[in-house]
Amino acid sequence: MIPEPKELRTEEMLLNMGPQHPSTHGVLRLVVKLAGEEVLDVIPHIGYLHTGFEKTMENRTFHQNITFSPRMDYLHSFAHDLAYALSVEKLVGAEVPERARVIRVILNELSRIASHLIFVASGLLDLGALTPYFYTFRERETILDLFEWVTGQRFHHNYIRIGGVKEDLPEEFVPELKKFLDTFDHRVDDYQGLFVGSPIFEGRARGVGVISPEDAIAAGLTGGSLRASGVNYDARKAYPYCGYETYDFEVPLGERGDTWDRMVVRLEEMRQAARIIRQAVQRLEPGPIRDPNPHFSYPPKELLATSMEALIFHFKLATEGFEVPPGEAYVPTESARGELGYYVVSDGGSLPYRVKVRTPSFFNLQALPKAAKGHFFQDLVAILASFDPVLGDVDR
Amino acid sequence: MRRDEARAYAEEKGIPVREEHGLLHLVLPLDELKVHLRAFKEMGFNYLADVIGMDYRDYPEGTSWQHPERFAVIYELVSMPGFADGDGSRIYPRVYVPEKRPKLESVTDLWPSASFPEREVYDLFGLVFEGHPDLRRILLPEDAEGHPLRKDHPLGETPTLFGDGRYIEPEAFRAGLRGKDKGLTGWRGGRRKGERR
Repeated sequence: MIPEPKELRTEEMLLNMGPQHPSTHGVLRLVVKLAGEEVLDVIPHIGYLHTGFEKTMENRTFHQNITFSPRMDYLHSFAHDLAYALSVEKLVGAEVPERARVIRVILNELSRIASHLIFVASGLLDLGALTPYFYTFRERETILDLFEWVTGQRFHHNYIRIGGVKEDLPEEFVPELKKFLDTFDHRVDDYQGLFVGSPIFEGRARGVGVISPEDAIAAGLTGGSLRASGVNYDARKAYPYCGYETYDFEVPLGERGDTWDRMVVRLEEMRQAARIIRQAVQRLEPGPIRDPNPHFSYPPKELLATSMEALIFHFKLATEGFEVPPGEAYVPTESARGELGYYVVSDGGSLPYRVKVRTPSFFNLQALPKAAKGHFFQDLVAILASFDPVLGDVDR
Repeated sequence: MRRDEARAYAEEKGIPVREEHGLLHLVLPLDELKVHLRAFKEMGFNYLADVIGMDYRDYPEGTSWQHPERFAVIYELVSMPGFADGDGSRIYPRVYVPEKRPKLESVTDLWPSASFPEREVYDLFGLVFEGHPDLRRILLPEDAEGHPLRKDHPLGETPTLFGDGRYIEPEAFRAGLRGKDKGLTGWRGGRRKGERR
């Protein structure tokens, strides 16, 4: 017979979570140090989705690289296209026409909404609420259909060109977009009603995973997670690009920096994104969609049949690419996850010398151990979801 | 603006300054790296946005910017707007690291957010950050060999072969694109690159 222990003994335990785990949002592996149910430390292990895009991009022409950039963040992929193009445009000195800038803003904000819809749905799913997923996917489907209409693709658009966009919007796009915008705001209200005020959500999100502004800055947080801690930093306001300074929108801020705030800040961001799109649609005037400079901008398709010169330029651009003056450029932009930028170095050739992607998820993940310490293990799942990591964005 | 302050500081200390495409680059000496970075932190650059590794081995000579050593590490410092008295200034101090002794000091004690990116530079470039609390490979597996973002790391491509014996060798093809070499395609069987049958 085994003698009964004289006293209860506790010991620390290391628990491995992932990389194949439904609530790690991809292939993230967390080694969690536990004392009973309490999280003592979290060590993230990343790199399971590392594809070496930066090395690949060094060996492809500047235009070919637009195929790679959106594949890093497959939820807000348009932001990656845009950030890459903005850096290269700075190097070549391209001037993007007004219509192209407005189209970029519309599609960027649509993509942001699509990404936040997934965030809300999957965040609530990790708390056990399955219903929101089905509702938010209805709006997301509409947005993806709109994207398919304009770019031909649902996720990886390959729509931006250096100096503009690939082609003009189809005629039916604007009426369909307006139809979507008419219903969108009260749909967001519905989603908010699905969880705000629910005692389960309040209990599991309020005061959980608190990050103070000082800790957030020290850990390198940006985006909605930083704004939930009350730091008013949005690259669209601080370093305006694509004419964001001319749009009227607000930057929602949280007060406590807990899971609850991170959730609600993104809901409000969706409303603001819709507001920006409404203003942008008003500004859609007919006009050119690409910088007319033939040295880096593809000639209009209809010219190819009639103009020999256009054909030569097209051929040269498609085979050799264009030469970019030597230099280094970086443009900070705001993706759905935070500050995103491409540090592009050119050596004067038609391939970039080096492309460094500053992806927000990679830095945001550093705040996870700080936020999860001292909470229960089941809250770790919710806290992780509230940082909105995309593992393609982390690993590149 | 803190950016002008940083510029004045650099000129006072004799640090080379370069402004290009709106970015303010400062070339810090390797042995006094932390001294200057600490001064920038005290100046109010409270946020480290990125640590960028560079390998300038193949960078062509004759451009306006000469790189004295093979490796460089570029820090992206931000005075975070919306936090404390941040004004949104950005500076890009850099330090050149010699190939023979690829070591430099870690800045994780100044900006804890440097932890992941320094591990990334260590992983992909093989530069050792002394004083980093947890310097392990981050993106590649622990038993990976080499540092893939170095310019001498092979790409592992195979030449594209065509039915008529013509082939595209990736290295030569890209050299052609860069304008360094004429031959874009070669022929199997020892023929000269670009020669017609």
